Amino acid sequence: MFAGVINNQPMQNTTYKVVLPFYTYAALSLFAACFLLLISTGSFTGHYFNPHILAITHMMALGWGTMIILGAGYQLIPVLIEKSLYSIKLANWSFFLAATGIPLLAYGFYNFDMGWPAKWGGRLVFISVSLFVINLAKSIQKSKNRNVHAWFMLAASVWLFVTALYGLVLVYNFTFPIYKRNHIELIPLHAHTGVIGWFLLLVIGVGSKLIPMFMISKYTNSKQLWLIFLLINTALVLFISLYIFKAANAIFFFPVVMLLTSLIVFAQYCYKSYKQRIRKQVDEQMKLSLLSLLMMLLPVAVIFFLIGLFVSGKEDMRIVLLYGFVIFFGWITAIIFGMTFKTLPFIVWNKVYGKIAGLGKTPGPKDLYSERLFAAMSVSYLAGFVIFIAGILTIEKVVLTIGSSLLLLSALLYCVNAGKLIFHKAF
Amino acid sequence: MVINRNTKIATLLKHHPDALVAIVSIDNKFAKLRNPLLRKLMAGRTSIAMASKIAGCSIEDFFVKLRPLGFILAGTAETEEINNKVMEQNEFIRNVKPESIIDLDVRPVLAGGTDPFHIIMDSVNNLKYGQVLRIINTFAPMPLVSVLGKKGFESYIDQVELQLVHAYFYKKQDAAVDIKVGVKDVANMWSDIADKYKGNLIELDVRNLEMPQPMHKILEALEQLPDGKALFVQHKRIPVFLLPELAERKFEYRLNEKAEGDVEIIIFRP
Repeated sequence: MFAGVINNQPMQNTTYKVVLPFYTYAALSLFAACFLLLISTGSFTGHYFNPHILAITHMMALGWGTMIILGAGYQLIPVLIEKSLYSIKLANWSFFLAATGIPLLAYGFYNFDMGWPAKWGGRLVFISVSLFVINLAKSIQKSKNRNVHAWFMLAASVWLFVTALYGLVLVYNFTFPIYKRNHIELIPLHAHTGVIGWFLLLVIGVGSKLIPMFMISKYTNSKQLWLIFLLINTALVLFISLYIFKAANAIFFFPVVMLLTSLIVFAQYCYKSYKQRIRKQVDEQMKLSLLSLLMMLLPVAVIFFLIGLFVSGKEDMRIVLLYGFVIFFGWITAIIFGMTFKTLPFIVWNKVYGKIAGLGKTPGPKDLYSERLFAAMSVSYLAGFVIFIAGILTIEKVVLTIGSSLLLLSALLYCVNAGKLIFHKAF
Repeated sequence: MVINRNTKIATLLKHHPDALVAIVSIDNKFAKLRNPLLRKLMAGRTSIAMASKIAGCSIEDFFVKLRPLGFILAGTAETEEINNKVMEQNEFIRNVKPESIIDLDVRPVLAGGTDPFHIIMDSVNNLKYGQVLRIINTFAPMPLVSVLGKKGFESYIDQVELQLVHAYFYKKQDAAVDIKVGVKDVANMWSDIADKYKGNLIELDVRNLEMPQPMHKILEALEQLPDGKALFVQHKRIPVFLLPELAERKFEYRLNEKAEGDVEIIIFRP
């Protein structure tokens, strides 16, 4: 009598029990990273290869950026491929391993102790990332639906795997020198596979699906997206080859130009989608997310400048610091700020009201968090971001302190608002 | 699959196609699970522990029958005595005066094929201090015991005879006065709305469409929705991103999640 329900395995949403720990962990990581930023402002007046900066960067890249993307990823995979996630168990394990590994790694960097804490941290993060890649690949394999967005996610996760593996090798390089080259010279490879391969591919792959969805736009153009996919991957592979074979500085403009082209095509994609939208009002969360896409141009501008400096035989450590800062505290943080409040309320709504929405009228997903806190967070964040940049450029500790205080405040407001959501109860 | 005393019957049914037959074989009282309406009503709200209470069998009986289907018992089964004890400790039932008992017989409602939940909640809300609600039913309404328990109600189940149960609910003095069950208007349930728009539903099946097509189709259909009609949508998931759009367009909705991956939505103008 109910064979139809039982035998036809339907596509299932990933349960909130898997997703919410990632969001919670990410919020706390951001707060911790901003706190470290505030007490380490002195480090931002010197070389970027500094224990505190390494610790903060990894808390931002792993604890904040990667954790929230893994969580949101587990939620989004079924949406993108129209099939359930391959394994909930693997997803949970990826959380526990990364959640244990990231603080160990950050502790190792902060105290510059490359012994067991950093090594175990790196190993656990690497295993966690591997589980994510397996889970994603298996989910896609199960599905007949292999669209361009799924390929973006898969390629991004492979780059994440490469980044984590190479990062682990670098940790070992401190105690058992593997490479002849100076350790600092090896970092750009690790940083760019992470930022371009993992974050950029993922944000574009997922964003190109979500942005039209959130604006209710019918615009799609997979040709454009495939072009972006090719440009970014080629640019990254080219960059790695040039770097390994120590090409002349000027040649590095090539991959950057390819990358810039891909961003321009993506901006065009977003603009067309915006033009054809049905929902005329664009909410604050969407505005911040769209702003973050413009903020992607900032690191590109900085890297142009940086290569220009290298070509003319100069070096300026402030510009390298600025490059990292505008990536992690600029683009990545802004997009997560915006997207958290476009995804989390719906996950929480489904958890709290999904089962009882047949009984009567319920509050909407947008009623579950505070718009005012969100606005305050955005203002404090943007002000802190600009002031901190001014601090890096002027090498003024007072300016850095004001900037990082504002960033810490925005992190606090984010945590309060996300906490409101995560702990929301119907009664 | 690992189960325990708190595992819901719906979970068992969903997990193994033969679970229904196994459960019915424990006690004939569970034959009512064959009725789709009662199954929908009870299975999701009833745990193994509650069910064994309803049938008057032991939790062990469940585990014995379910083991061959691959269900494994997790941890130790706490003694089911706990529930019994709580019931017997409720002294209110000995002190209550007959004139303060409000009777509510839900048997005809159930026989008529409707979920009595909102009728019960209405009675609960109208209960005055010191009054006791007596629900008359063919089985013990264990889900209600747990829902109202959370709201500060004491309960007592009296199995009068095989097919007759009296369930008593009494509000403790310190209990919250307002019973909302998280919804503003309990009387406007799915079934009421479905009845109201019977014959005036425009059907739309978006189960085979890829995201975000379902949202577009639904919004298009709503734009052309004639007055007095409602849109009946079949969807493979709860369309959470649609909900704010409905609110913005001044539509209301009710959801009916028939099973995982099979959701019905009625969208109407309030």
